[in-house]
Amino acid sequence: MSLTSLFLIFVKIGAILLGGGYVILPIMTSEFVDKRNLIDNDELISYFALAQSLPGIIAANMSMFIGYKLKGKWGAVIAMLGITFVPFWCIVLLASVLGALTDNGIVQGALWGVGVAVIALIILTVREMWQKSTRNAYFYTIFLLTLLSMVIFKLSPVQAILLFTAGGVLYKRVRRCKE
Amino acid sequence: MIYLYLFWEFFKIGMFSFGGGYATLPFLYHISEVYGWYTLDELTQMTAIASITPGPVGINVATFAGLKSAGIFGSALATAAEMLPSLFLVIIVSKLLKKFSDNFYVKTAIETLKPVSCALLTSVALGLLKPEIRDVKAMILLALLLLMSWKSKRDPLFYILIAAVVGIVISFVH
Repeated sequence: MSLTSLFLIFVKIGAILLGGGYVILPIMTSEFVDKRNLIDNDELISYFALAQSLPGIIAANMSMFIGYKLKGKWGAVIAMLGITFVPFWCIVLLASVLGALTDNGIVQGALWGVGVAVIALIILTVREMWQKSTRNAYFYTIFLLTLLSMVIFKLSPVQAILLFTAGGVLYKRVRRCKE
Repeated sequence: MIYLYLFWEFFKIGMFSFGGGYATLPFLYHISEVYGWYTLDELTQMTAIASITPGPVGINVATFAGLKSAGIFGSALATAAEMLPSLFLVIIVSKLLKKFSDNFYVKTAIETLKPVSCALLTSVALGLLKPEIRDVKAMILLALLLLMSWKSKRDPLFYILIAAVVGIVISFVH
């Protein structure tokens, strides 16, 4: 497989990846396991799990894992460029006509509705993260402390992440030493 | 100078956001408050559009926000900056797969990041629900969408399509 054909596969994936998380695994399975037999299914699933536990955009992480596996460092770079190619130009083109579009009543109505759907999706994402975690006293404590510090002290997300992750690791470390 | 700030802010998003596309929103709200490159209304609109165009939502919003802040070069920069930490991490993790998953600090950090990310996203949801931003119609639509998915979450496009149709119908009634 050449870098060019790898790039083209990721361009295609970027173009049909609509709706996010739900379709990543089926699309990647169809492109890399079923059609081309480049990666075995178990490996793909482990990339999916890893992509979710690393920071950043899950679909991009997953593409880069596959790119790296197939073609090394440049494969990862090519995957990153390929997956963003179509979405990037879509947004740029759309933004240039957006002003004209949003004067239209129908578009305004649709965007209002989608705006509400986004809130529902955010709430559902929280619920999903909540269900996927082991909820013990430690989880609830960190959750409440972070939420309070965001709402009351208006910490920035990065400050909250650094503060509580460092605090959490320190706490667990001290407890492990005592045991 | 704006390019430097833009790069740094989006690099931080790529480095610190956990849990997929919508998890980048707390950072984007923060950027809007600190730099004023776009308003909160614009961000809501951008997120709506990013959800219905091809590609991962998190990347689409970055492209959009970069475009609003500093034109087309800004949008390329924001998109690249957001993915750069992932690029390094993926390469490192691919090399150290075994060691990585057993390390005490890595395991604890990941365990801690879950409740932290949950809380960050909850604070965004709370911010969006403020009554001065949303009216009664929006609250009813939101409640219906959530009711439809209480048993199991469906494809995001399902909610977006239904909500868009409802929005269009309402705009005709008015």
